Amino acid sequence: MEILEKENNVVAPTVHYKTSRIKKNFSANWQLYVFLSPALLYFMIFHYIPMYGVQIAFKEFYANLGITGSPWVGFEHFTRFFDSYYFWRLLKNTLVLNVYGLILFPVPIIFALMLNEVKNGAAKKWAQTLTYAPHFISVVVVVGMLVAFLDPVTGIVNNTIVKFGGEPVLFLTDAGLFRHIFVWSGQWQSLGWGTIIYLAALAGVNPELHEAARVDGATRMQRIIHVNIPAIIPTVVILFILNIGNFMQVGFEKVLLLQNSLNSETSDIIQTFVYQAGLLEGQYSFAAAIGLFESVINIVLLITVNQIARKVSDNSLW
Amino acid sequence: MKKGKALFGISTALILLLSACSGGNNEGENEKVDKEILEKVSKTGFPIVEEPLTIKMFTGKSNANLNFNWNDPLLVWDEYEKMTNINIEWTEQVLKDNLEEKRNLALAGGTIPDVFYSANLSNLDIFKYGKQGTFIDLSSYIEDYAPNLQKFLENNPDVKKGITFPDGKIYSLPALRDNDFLAIRISAFPWINKSWLEKLGMEEPGTTEEFYEYLKAVKEKDPNGNGEADEIPYGGVNLEYLTNWLRGSFGLGNRGSGFVDVAPNGDKTRFIATTDNYKELLQYVNKLYSEKLIEQNIFSIKWDQIMANGAEGKYGSTVFWDPQSTFKGPEGGNYVGLSALKGPSGEQLFSPVSSPLFSNGQFVVTKENPNPAATVRWLDYFYSDEGARLLYMGIEGESFEVVDGKYKYFDETIEANDASKFVPWVGVNPPGIVKQDYFSGAEGTEKSLTAAEKIKPFVPEQLWPSEFTYTEDENKTLSTIGADIEKYVKEMTDKFVSGDVSFDEWDKYVKTIEDMGLEKYMEVKTEAYNRFQKN
Amino acid sequence: MRNSGLSDRTFGIINGIGVLLITIIITYPLIFVISASISDPTAVNTGKMWLWPVDITFAGFEKVFENKAIWVGYRNTIFYTIVGTLIHLFVLLPCAYALSRKELMGKKIILWIILFTMLFNGGLIPSYLLVKNLNMLNTMWAIVIPGVVGAWSILVAKSFFEQTIPDTLVEASKIDGATDFQIFRRIVLPLSLPIIAVMALFHAVALWNQYFNALIYLTDENKFPLQLILRQILILSQFDASSGVGGVVDSYIEQVKAASLIKYAVIIVSALPLLIVYPFLQRFFVKGVLIGSVKE
Repeated sequence: MEILEKENNVVAPTVHYKTSRIKKNFSANWQLYVFLSPALLYFMIFHYIPMYGVQIAFKEFYANLGITGSPWVGFEHFTRFFDSYYFWRLLKNTLVLNVYGLILFPVPIIFALMLNEVKNGAAKKWAQTLTYAPHFISVVVVVGMLVAFLDPVTGIVNNTIVKFGGEPVLFLTDAGLFRHIFVWSGQWQSLGWGTIIYLAALAGVNPELHEAARVDGATRMQRIIHVNIPAIIPTVVILFILNIGNFMQVGFEKVLLLQNSLNSETSDIIQTFVYQAGLLEGQYSFAAAIGLFESVINIVLLITVNQIARKVSDNSLW
Repeated sequence: MKKGKALFGISTALILLLSACSGGNNEGENEKVDKEILEKVSKTGFPIVEEPLTIKMFTGKSNANLNFNWNDPLLVWDEYEKMTNINIEWTEQVLKDNLEEKRNLALAGGTIPDVFYSANLSNLDIFKYGKQGTFIDLSSYIEDYAPNLQKFLENNPDVKKGITFPDGKIYSLPALRDNDFLAIRISAFPWINKSWLEKLGMEEPGTTEEFYEYLKAVKEKDPNGNGEADEIPYGGVNLEYLTNWLRGSFGLGNRGSGFVDVAPNGDKTRFIATTDNYKELLQYVNKLYSEKLIEQNIFSIKWDQIMANGAEGKYGSTVFWDPQSTFKGPEGGNYVGLSALKGPSGEQLFSPVSSPLFSNGQFVVTKENPNPAATVRWLDYFYSDEGARLLYMGIEGESFEVVDGKYKYFDETIEANDASKFVPWVGVNPPGIVKQDYFSGAEGTEKSLTAAEKIKPFVPEQLWPSEFTYTEDENKTLSTIGADIEKYVKEMTDKFVSGDVSFDEWDKYVKTIEDMGLEKYMEVKTEAYNRFQKN
Repeated sequence: MRNSGLSDRTFGIINGIGVLLITIIITYPLIFVISASISDPTAVNTGKMWLWPVDITFAGFEKVFENKAIWVGYRNTIFYTIVGTLIHLFVLLPCAYALSRKELMGKKIILWIILFTMLFNGGLIPSYLLVKNLNMLNTMWAIVIPGVVGAWSILVAKSFFEQTIPDTLVEASKIDGATDFQIFRRIVLPLSLPIIAVMALFHAVALWNQYFNALIYLTDENKFPLQLILRQILILSQFDASSGVGGVVDSYIEQVKAASLIKYAVIIVSALPLLIVYPFLQRFFVKGVLIGSVKE
C-alpha cells in the first residue's frame, strides 16, 4: 500500500545523535514494542525458523539424520525435476491456470461498479448478502457440489442438457473443460466477496466530483469511467500486485479433489505434483526442491510487477 | 532494537534445539536388545511374555471400522491380549484415505511407533527405512519366533524370495493369501446377468466377440423390459478392472497383474503396454466404450453411484465383488461369474490373480520396539489356522457358531452392521494369512467360490508378487523414470479407450515411452526378476 | 441534458438487470442445495427436483443428527474457530496498532520482516518438525497457532488504524498521562469495532473451512474438525482393491448408501453457522475493509 511509501519519510531521520534518539524513543514508546512482540514472535518461530529447512532441497533427506545431518546432493533434485517428462506440462498448466485467473481479475471490479450504481438500498443489500454467501462454503463442499451438479447421469446440468435433446457432457473427465470449471467455480465463490474492497473504495469517492461531472453534462457511464474508475485504481493496482504475489498458488486442494486420469493433461499442476511426491511418496527433498523453484518464480514475478506498477501508475507495494 | 536481538537469540536457540532433536538414534542400538529380554519371550505356547508388555502400533483402518476405536473393547484384540499378555496400544489409527500422508509424516520425523501395522508400505519405503535403520531386520527372529510363518515360507519358496531384499534381509512380514483360497486371490470377479442372458436367448459368452454381442444386445433389446434403454451393459469401479480381466484374452499378463510379464517364447521380460497385443486390447475396449457399452462416466464414477446402479439392477456385467452380497437389490442374485474369455487369436488366460504373497508392507518393526522377538511372535499366531480363525471370525459362541462344519457369524453380528466391533479385519488387509474356512467377506461366498472354480484352469502358472524387491539404485530409477512411465501408461490407456487420443498416435505413444527411458526401466525389472528366479 | 438523463435511466435499468442476473446465477446453486437437502434423493438424482423441494423428506437431516462423528467434528470446529479467532485478534490488533503509530521506529524493517513471510516459507517438513518439537502435535494448538496471523491482515488493520485514529487524540491522551496500554484499551479498541468484526470474520471463515492442518497435525479422531469428516462423507475415496471388501459384513457399503442421502443436508449444516453470523457483521464491512487503501 502507499502507506509503505510514507514509511520512507518517517524513517529518514537525520543521522547524528541517532543512537541516543533510539534510546529515547524506546524508553518513551516501549509499550508499542510490547504490542508488536506476540506477532513478531509468531513470525520468527513459525515462519523464519522453518526457513532453515529450505536446505533439504539440496540434500537427500534421511529422517534419522535430521535436516541438518542429511548429506548434500547439490542440484540433483532440481535437474531431476527439469528433466522429468512432466516438467513442461506442469509448468504450462500452472501458468495457464493462473493467467486464466488473472484475466478474470477485473470481474469483481466490474461487479462492484455495477453494485455501486444500484440506488435502491434494500436491493443492493440483498444482492450483496446473496453473492457473498458462497464465500463461506469450504473447498470440500464446493467440489462436492460440482461433482453432484456435473454428474453425467444424475447431475442437474446434464439432466437439463438431455431434456433439451443434447448429449450428456462428461464435464469432470474432459481435459478441455477442466480449466473453465476450476476458474469459474472459483469466480462463483469469490465474486461477491471480492467486491467488498472495491465497494469500500467507491464509498470513499468524493461526492463533489460526481456533482461537478454532472454539471458538465456527463452521463452515468461517463462518470463511472472518469470519476469512479480513477478513484479505485490505486486499490486495484495494489490488489493486483498482491495477487501476483500469490501467483503460483492456485487453490491446490481444489485441483487435487477434481483431478482424474482423463483431465490430468490440464489439471496436473506443480503443487499437486509436490503433494504427490512429498506427502504421498515421501520424497521430501524432491518436493522441497520443486517448492523452492516455485517460490523463486513467485518472488521474481512480484518484484517485476511491482517495478512496472511503480513506473506506470505510481502505486506499488514498496 | 533490543527486542530484535533478543528474538534473534531465541530463534537461534530454537534452531539448535531443533537440530538436536531431529538427529536420531543410530543402528547400533538394535544390537542391544538384551539377551535378558529374549530369554523372557517363550518360544512356544502362551502367554508370550510373563510380565505384561505394551507395544505401540500405528495402523491403517478402513471406513468400515471408522467408528470403532481399537483401544476400546474389541473382542478379538481383547482375547488375544489375554492369551499373550501383550497389550497393543494403537497410537495412530488412520483411515486409508489419509494413510500415506500420516505414515510418511510419522517416518519423516514424527513419532515412530513400535510397529507399523497394516500400513501399506511399498517395498521401496521398506528398503529405504530398513537401510536407514528405522526398520529392523526380522530374518533372525523368524526361525525362532515365527514357526507358523517359517513353515509357510518353506512350502512357498516364491513367497520367501518375494519378501527377501537384495541385501538378504527381511524387513517386513507379509499379508498372505492361502494357496487353496483362489477366490480371494482373484478378489473382484467378472459377473454377468444370467436372467438377462436367458431373456435375450443367449449363451454365456465364451469369447470376446460373444461378450461384445451380449453387451450390444443388453443395450438394444431392453432385457429388463421396462421400455427404457436404462440398462448399462458394463459398469464398474474403474476401467482397470475391465482391462485387467480382458488382457489375458490378448495373451498378456502371464505373471499376474503388473506392467511387466514374460514374453511367450522364452524367458525374456516384456513391457506389456507397448506390445501390439495391448494395442488390440485397447482397440477392443475402445470399441465397447465408443458404442456406449461401457458406463460413460467410468473414469470419474463414485462409489455411491455404483452401489445405487447395482442395487437398481442396471448392470449387464461388471467386474466386482459378489453382487448378491454387495449390490443386494432385485438383480443381485442373478449374476453368475464369467471365466477368462477366449480372445481373437485364441488366447485364454485369467491374469489378475494375486500371488499368495498378497502384500509385503503390512508389518514392520521399528528400532523403537522394546521387544522385537515378542512382537514377531505376537504376529506369528495369525499365520496359523487358529490365529486366522480368531482374527477373521472371533470367538466361537460370542461372534460365530459352527453349523454343519461351516463357520458362520451370528446373525446379530451382521445385522447390526457392526461386525467391526468384534473382528478388526474388514477392509483392513491385516498381516497374517487368510483362509477360506474362516473368511466371511464377499470373496468367501458360495457364488464367489463357484466363480473361482470356473476360472481356475486359466490362472497363470507362475504368479509374481505385486512388487519385486529392488536395490537402492534400482529404486531410484523406478521412482523417477519408472513413476513417469507408469503414470503415462495409465493416462494414455484411459485416453485411448475414451477416444481422446486416436490410435493413429500409437507409434508416437510407444516412442514417447521409449524416450522416457523404457530400456533402463526394463533393465531394472529384468535384473529384479533374475534375482527372484535365482534366490 | 435531457438526452443524458434518458440514457442514464436506461443505464440504470440495464445495470439493475445485470446485477439481478448475476445474483440469480450465484444464488441458484445455493437454493438447489437447500431444496435438495429436503427432497427425496431419487427425485434429486433423476432431475425431477430443480428448484423447489420435491417429495419433502427430512431423512437426510435425521441421519446427520444421528451421526456422532459429525457432531464431534462440529463441536471441535466451533471450539477451534472461537479460540483461534480470539488469539488472532490478540496477536493482530496490538501489532497493527503499534505499526500504525508514527513514533514507532524501525517500522519499515518490521514491515518487511512481516511481508517477506508472504513470499517464502520453509516447507512442510520443517514446519511439521517445529510443531512436533513444540509438543503441539495432536493438540488444538496445532490448528490455531500456525497461521494465526498473516501479513495481509496486519496491513489492512494497520491502515485502518492510520485512517481512523486521529493522531491528535492519541497525543492529547499522552499529554494527559495515559500510557499506550491505556490508550489502546480505552480509545483505540472502542473506535475499531468495524475492523475487529471484519478481521474476526475473515479469520473465522478461514479456520472454519481449513482442513489441511488438521489432516497433517491431528491423529485423534475425537479432535478432528468438521471439514475432515465432511471430506470423508462427500468425497469418498477411490476404492482400494487391496482392502478386500467383505460383503456380508461391510458397513462401508452402508456408509456409501447413507452418504448420498445426507450429502446435501451435511452441506447445509456445515455452512449454516457462518451464514447466520455474517449478516450481523455485514454493516461493519464497508467501514471496516481497507479504508486505508483509498487514496485521498
